[in-house]
Amino acid sequence: MIHDSIIRERLVTGDKTAADVTRDIARPILNQPSTAWKVGFTLSVIFLGIFALSLFYTLWTGIGVWNINKSVMWGWDITNFVFWVGIGHAGTLISAVLLLFRQKWRMSINRSAEAMTIFAVICAAMFPVFHMGRVWVGYWALPLPNGFGSLWVNFNSPLLWDVFAISTYFSVSLLFWYIGLIPDIATIRDKVTTKGAKFWYGLFSMGWTGSTRTWARYELISLILAGLSTPLVLSVHTIVSTDFATSVIPGWHTTIFPPYFVAGAIFSGFGMVATLLVVARKVMNYENYITIGHLEAMCKIIMVTGSLVGIAYLTEFFIAWYSGVEYEQYAFLNRAFGPYWWAYWSMMSCNLIAPQVFWFKWCRTTPWFIFIMSIVVNVGMWFERFVIIVTSLHRDYLPSSWVMYSGSLTEVGLFLGTFGIFFTCFFLFAKFLPVINMAEVKSILRNRE
Amino acid sequence: MSNNMKYWKGEEELNRDARFLAAQKNEFNESLPLDEVLSEDGFELNSNRRDFLKYFGFSVTAVTLAACYKTNVRHAVPYLVKPEEVTPGVANYYRSTCGACSVGCGIEVKVREGRPIKVDGSADSPISGGGLCAAGQASILSLYDTERLANPLHLGAEAKDWSELDNGIKAKLASISQSGKGIAVVSGTVHGPTTLKAISDFTAAYPTAKHVMYDAVSYSGMLDANAADFGTRAIPRYDFSKANVIVSFAADFLGTWVSPVEFSKAYGKKRRPDAEGGMNQHFQFESALSMTGTNADHRFPMKMSQERLYLSSLYNYLAQKAGATQMPVVKQGELAGNALKSAAEALWNAKGASIVVSGSNDKVSQQLVNAINVLLGNYGSTLHMDQHSKQHQGSDSELAAVLKGLNDKSIAAVIFYGANPVYNRGQEWQAAIAKAELSVSFAASKDETATVCQYVCPDSHYLESWSDAEPQAGVYHLGQPTITRVFNTRQAQLSLLTWSGAAPQIDADPFAKKGILSQKFEADPYYIYLANNWKSQGLNEAAWTKALEMGVVSGTASAASMAYSGNAVALASEVASVKADNGIELNFYAPVGVRDGAHGNNPWLHEMPDPVSKVSWDNYVALPKSLASELGIKERDTVNIKAGELMYQNVPALIQPGQANGTLAMALGYGRTAAGKVGGSVEKGFETIGFNAFNLGGGTSTVVGNVEITKGDAQYHLAQTQTHHSIEGRDIVRETTLDAFKKNPKAGNDKAATHVYTIWEKRDYRKDGSPNHLWGMAIDLNACTGCGSCVVSCSIENNVPVVGRDEIRLRREMHWIRIDRYYSFVSEESTMTREADIATADAANKGEYSHWENVQVIHQPMMCQHCAQAPCETVCPVLATTHSSEGLNQMTYNRCIGTKYCGNNCPYKVRRFNWFRYNDNDAFDFHFNNPLGKMVINPDVTVRTRGVMEKCSFCVQRIQEGKLKAKRAGKSPNEVQVETACQRACPSNAIVFGDLHNPESEISKLYRNERGFRVLDEINVQSSVTYMTKVRNTTKA
Repeated sequence: MIHDSIIRERLVTGDKTAADVTRDIARPILNQPSTAWKVGFTLSVIFLGIFALSLFYTLWTGIGVWNINKSVMWGWDITNFVFWVGIGHAGTLISAVLLLFRQKWRMSINRSAEAMTIFAVICAAMFPVFHMGRVWVGYWALPLPNGFGSLWVNFNSPLLWDVFAISTYFSVSLLFWYIGLIPDIATIRDKVTTKGAKFWYGLFSMGWTGSTRTWARYELISLILAGLSTPLVLSVHTIVSTDFATSVIPGWHTTIFPPYFVAGAIFSGFGMVATLLVVARKVMNYENYITIGHLEAMCKIIMVTGSLVGIAYLTEFFIAWYSGVEYEQYAFLNRAFGPYWWAYWSMMSCNLIAPQVFWFKWCRTTPWFIFIMSIVVNVGMWFERFVIIVTSLHRDYLPSSWVMYSGSLTEVGLFLGTFGIFFTCFFLFAKFLPVINMAEVKSILRNRE
Repeated sequence: MSNNMKYWKGEEELNRDARFLAAQKNEFNESLPLDEVLSEDGFELNSNRRDFLKYFGFSVTAVTLAACYKTNVRHAVPYLVKPEEVTPGVANYYRSTCGACSVGCGIEVKVREGRPIKVDGSADSPISGGGLCAAGQASILSLYDTERLANPLHLGAEAKDWSELDNGIKAKLASISQSGKGIAVVSGTVHGPTTLKAISDFTAAYPTAKHVMYDAVSYSGMLDANAADFGTRAIPRYDFSKANVIVSFAADFLGTWVSPVEFSKAYGKKRRPDAEGGMNQHFQFESALSMTGTNADHRFPMKMSQERLYLSSLYNYLAQKAGATQMPVVKQGELAGNALKSAAEALWNAKGASIVVSGSNDKVSQQLVNAINVLLGNYGSTLHMDQHSKQHQGSDSELAAVLKGLNDKSIAAVIFYGANPVYNRGQEWQAAIAKAELSVSFAASKDETATVCQYVCPDSHYLESWSDAEPQAGVYHLGQPTITRVFNTRQAQLSLLTWSGAAPQIDADPFAKKGILSQKFEADPYYIYLANNWKSQGLNEAAWTKALEMGVVSGTASAASMAYSGNAVALASEVASVKADNGIELNFYAPVGVRDGAHGNNPWLHEMPDPVSKVSWDNYVALPKSLASELGIKERDTVNIKAGELMYQNVPALIQPGQANGTLAMALGYGRTAAGKVGGSVEKGFETIGFNAFNLGGGTSTVVGNVEITKGDAQYHLAQTQTHHSIEGRDIVRETTLDAFKKNPKAGNDKAATHVYTIWEKRDYRKDGSPNHLWGMAIDLNACTGCGSCVVSCSIENNVPVVGRDEIRLRREMHWIRIDRYYSFVSEESTMTREADIATADAANKGEYSHWENVQVIHQPMMCQHCAQAPCETVCPVLATTHSSEGLNQMTYNRCIGTKYCGNNCPYKVRRFNWFRYNDNDAFDFHFNNPLGKMVINPDVTVRTRGVMEKCSFCVQRIQEGKLKAKRAGKSPNEVQVETACQRACPSNAIVFGDLHNPESEISKLYRNERGFRVLDEINVQSSVTYMTKVRNTTKA
C-alpha cells in the first residue's frame, strides 16, 4: 500500500496507471524510430567512425602518432580512461546503494544510469587496452596459464589490479542491469508482433512468467547483486587511484587519492546522468517519470560530491606544503601557476565553484540550467584527470626531463570517438530496451488499483 | 507381421559366448587403444591402412598450408672455408688509426664476423689514451653509408674500370706537366709519413705538381705565428696534465681544438681535487659559451674582436711581475671584476706549470699568446715545440694561391684529397675548378667539390685502408683495414702512386691458377708500399708485426731546439689598431658533433645534442639575452643575419646563456648541399640541415664584425633534448669549492642524511646463494666535460635507433644515456637556479642582463640508475622489468606489452619507448633502414621492436662476456673485467664501472669516497650510480 506523503512530492506524476506506464515506456520500442532518434543515431555513428579511423591509424602506425613523450608517457589516453570510469560510477551507485537504502526515487532512473555505466566502462576500457604498445600481446596482463615458461603476472602492479577491478565491475554491472531488464523484456516480448522480435525478446526474457516465485527470486537476486555492487562502487575508483597513489611521482604519490577519486567519480557520474536524463525526459516525453524531483535530488548529490572533491583539492595543497617535500610543493604550485595553469583553474572553477549554484532551488529545478551545469561538471572532471596525470608528469624530479605535452589530432579523435561509442550504444538501448524500469515504476504509482 | 529374423554380428553372439556377453555390457566392447596412445614408448608405426591415409592426408595438407606462407628471403653467406681468426660470436680487436679527422687518434676496432662494429680509443696511443670523441665513435657509420660512391665517376657517370680512368688521368697529367702548367694536390692536413711519401712520389713524377694542405677550420694564424716566433710552422704539443693554471681565449680545447681527446684525458687527470700536484684552475675568456667554457672555474664573457687588447693587458700584467718590458699600449683592456688581473696572478703563481691558449685564427693574437707562454716559462714543461703537433698544418695563403692559380689558369690540374673547398671555402671554388683541365676528387661520396670535378676516384674508408700517421713529431700510428672494401673504391694513396707509376707491382697469386683464392692481405699494393717504407726505416719483420698489433710505432722526435725569437713589444702597433667598436660580432665555432661538416651525413652526430645548447639536427644563431630582448626575439623565433655580402634569412635563433653581450655565434659544419640522404642534398632532393656558416666568413676566421641582425618572419622549432635549463634549487647535483673541500672532503656533500621510513626490506644480494657480483657505477662530475662521446658510444653498442629531428621535437630521443646540463645564473656573487628568480632578475635588470652572460654550468650524465628498490619494477603488470641477483635492473623486451607505466614511474626519466618501429621503416630513413647500414648493428644486442620499453642495461652483454672470459681463463670472480660502452669511450675517465662485492675494486673505493652521493637518495630507490661532488677551483690567487 502506498501512502501519499504530504511532505514528499510524488515520484511519478500525471496520475499514471500501470497500463499507462507500459504504453508510455514501450512506445519507442514498438513504434518506428523518431526523426530525432535517427539524427542522433547518425551523428553517433559518425563519431564512432572517427574512433575507428583514429584507432586504425594508431594501431597501424604505432602509439607514436600520439604526442606523448619520454616524460609524459600517459596523456589523453589515461585521462580519458579515468574520465570514463568515473562516469561509470553513478549507475551502480544509483541502483545498488540507493536500492539498499530503499530510495524509491531511483526507480525511474536506475535503468538508464546502469546502461550508462556499462557503456562508459566500455569506453573506458578502450584506453588501457589500446594505449599498450603491443596490444596484440595485451592478454599477457591476464593471469592465464600459458606455454611461455614460468611467466606470470605481477600482483604488485596497480595496473593488474585495474584489470581485475574493471572487469569485475563490468561483469557485475552488466549482470545487474540484465537481471533488472528481464521482467521488462518479457513485457515487450508479449507486445511485439514480428517474428524476429518475438524470438530475440523471448530469448532474453529467459522464459519469464511473472509468477510469484519468479518475482520473489528476482527481488532476492537484485538484493544480492546490490550487495555485491556496493563495495565495487568504492573499489573501482579506489583501485584506479592507486595507479597514481602507489607511484613515486610528486602529485601522484598521495594517500588522499582513493576517497578523492571515488567522490570525483560519483560527481562526474551524476553529471553525466543529469546530462542524459534532462534530454531524454524531454525528447521521449518521460517528464512524468523522471520528474523535477529526480533532477533536484541529483543536483544535491552533485553539489555535495563537488564540494567533497573541492575539499580534497585544498587538502592536497595543504599537505604538499605541510610535507616539507620540495618536489611535492613544486608539483602543486606548478599545477596552479605553471604552464598548465589554465587546466588547473578550469578544474577548480568547474568542480568546486560551479556546483555551489545548486544551493539555490531555482538552479536545481530548471532543466536547461541543470543541463549546462552537468556539462560544466564533466568538463571539469576531464580537466581534473588531465591535471593529475599530465601536470605531474611534465615536471617531476629532474628538471632536465621537463617537457610540455599537448594531445595530437589522433588523441583528440579517439576521445571524441568514445562519445561515438557511448551514444551509439545509448541510442540503440533507447530504441530496443525500455529506458525506465516499468516493473519497478509500477510499484510506486499512486493509484495501483 | 512381426519380424522374427535374427541377425548376429559373429559366431560369438550366435553361440552366446560368455566373454562376448560380458564385453557387450561395456560401452566399447573392444578395449580402446589408450595405452598405445598414451605411452611414450616410441612412435613405432602399428597403424593400419586407414590411419596411414589419415596421417598422410593431414601431413600433406599441413605441409601445403605451411608452404603457402611467404617467408622473407634472408641473405646469409656462410664461410665456405672459415678463416682461422674468426670464431662466430667472438669479437676480434684490431689496432688502427682513426680517420675521422686529422688528429689521428689511435683506435681499437671491434670486428664481429668480419664486420667492424665499434671503434674505441687505443690505450697505447699517446693521443687518444683509450678515449675517443663522438665524431670518432660515429665515424664507423660512414663505412656503411649508402651515400658512398660504389664506383669511380668520370664526368658524373659511373666508370667501373679503374685502369681506363687511370689512363685518362695519367695522360692528362703528363700533358699538363709537360706544358709546364701547375698541378695542385689540395688536401686536408696529412701527416702519415707513407702517405706523404706517396704524395712526394707523385710530385716527383710530375714536377709541376705541388701539395697544398688546408684545414677546413683553419689554424693558419697560429701556425704562422709560430713560424714567425720559433721558425717552425707547427703547433706545439700541449701537456695539460702538467698545467696547474689554464687560461683559454675561446679555445675549445676539450671539444674540438687541436687534439681534444688527448687534452680531455690530460685535463681530466688534473681536474680531480685529489690530483697529483693539486687540482688545476681554468680561466676561460670567450664570446660564445663553448663546451670548454662550461668546464671553466672562471669564465668571462668578452668580445673576440678585442682579443689582442686583452692579451696585451695580460702580457703587461705578467711582464710587470717578471720585470720585463711592458707593451706600450694606449688602451689598457680589462674585463669586469679585474678578470685579466686575477688570471695573471694565478698564472704567475703557476709559472712554468700553466698554459695560455687561444682559439683565434689571428696571427697577432697567437704571437701574444706565445709571448705570454714564454714569459711564464711554459715551453719545455707544458708546451713542447720539439715534439710538436702535426695534426693541423694547413695554410690559408697557399690555398688562396691555388685558387688564384686556377683562376688565371697557371694551375691546370687539381686533385682534392680529404678536401671540400666548394663547401667550406666559398662558391668561387666552383667556378675555379671548372676552369681546370683536370679536376679529380678522392671524396668517398659525391660531395660539393666532387660534384664539380671531372673525376671522382672514391677513397676507401679508413677502416678499409692501410695507413700510418704521425700526429705528433715522433709519435707514429699505423692503420689497418678491418674489412674488405665494401665498394669498388681505392685508397687515395694508391691512386696517386698509380698515376705516378710508383705503385708496387703485385706478383701473380701463385694459388690463383689452382683455383684457390688466397685472402692474404699482401695482395694490397699499398700495403707493400707501406710495409716497405717502414721496413726501410729499420723496422724488422717482428717489430713490424708487433707495431701492427699495438697500432703504434715507438720513435723519437728530433730534438731540434726551437728557440723563441719573437718580440711582443713590437706588436704594440698591431694591438693599437684594434677598433673599439666592431658592431655586433658573429663568432664561428666547430660544433662537437659534426665538426667541420665532413661528417655531415652521419645521423649519430646529428642526433647527438650539442653539449651546451642541447640542440640536435640544426645549427642556429646563438644570441645573448640582451640582444634578444632588444630585438623582441623569443623561443622559436628566427633571425635574418647579414655578414659581409651574404644574408641568411630565417635562421633559427637560440637565446644562449653565457653568450657575451653584443656577440652572436653560429656553428660551422652545417648547410651541406651535397652530403646525402641524412645531411641534405640538393641534387637528390634531401633537405639541407641548417645554414652554411663558412659562407659567412667562418673557417678562416673565428669572428666577423659589423653583422646586421633583424628578427625573421618565420618561426622555427629547434629540436632540443633538454628545454628546462635551471635546476630549480634541487639537490640533484652537489658542488663545492676547492677551499671548502680541502677543509672538509665531505663539503657540499654533508647534507644530513634524509630520514627514510620504509616498509621495504633492504635488498640483500647475498641472500640467494651468494651471487658473485653486485654491479655499480660511479661518475665523477669533476671529470665529465659533457662532450657526448658516451652518448654516441652507447648508441652504437646498444643499437639505439636514430629517430630524427621531428621526433626529438616531440621529446622522444632514444638515447640510453644523456648528459643533463644545468645553468646557474650568477649575479653579484649570488647564483640563481630557479626559473622564478631568473625571471625576477630579468625584470629588474633591463638591458644588460649580466646574469645571463655570467653563467655557471654543470654536466651530469644520466642513465638508468639500476635502483635496488626500483619504482619501475613494481608497476609493470607483466614482470617485463625485473631485478637481477647482481643488482641490475633488467628489461625483458619480448615480455613487454608497452603500458609505459614504468617510464612514468621512473624518477630519473631514463626509460625510452619505441613509439614506432624504427628499423625497416621509411619514416626513419637512417642506417636501420638499409641492409648496408644494418651491418653496424651489434649482434649481441637485440634490435627492439615497436611498442616496447628500453633503457640502459649497464651493457649487460659486456658483463656476460667479461664473466665468461674470466670463467674460461679460470680466474676468480674478482678478476672479471667489464667496461661499459660509455666508460670505454669517455676521454676523461669520468665513468667507472665495477663490482661492489669486490672490496678492492676501484668502484668500491669510489663508493666509500666522501664526495660520493646518489641522486634523489631521499626517495629511497637505492640507485646503483654514485656521483662525485663537483669541486670548483675558485680559489683566488
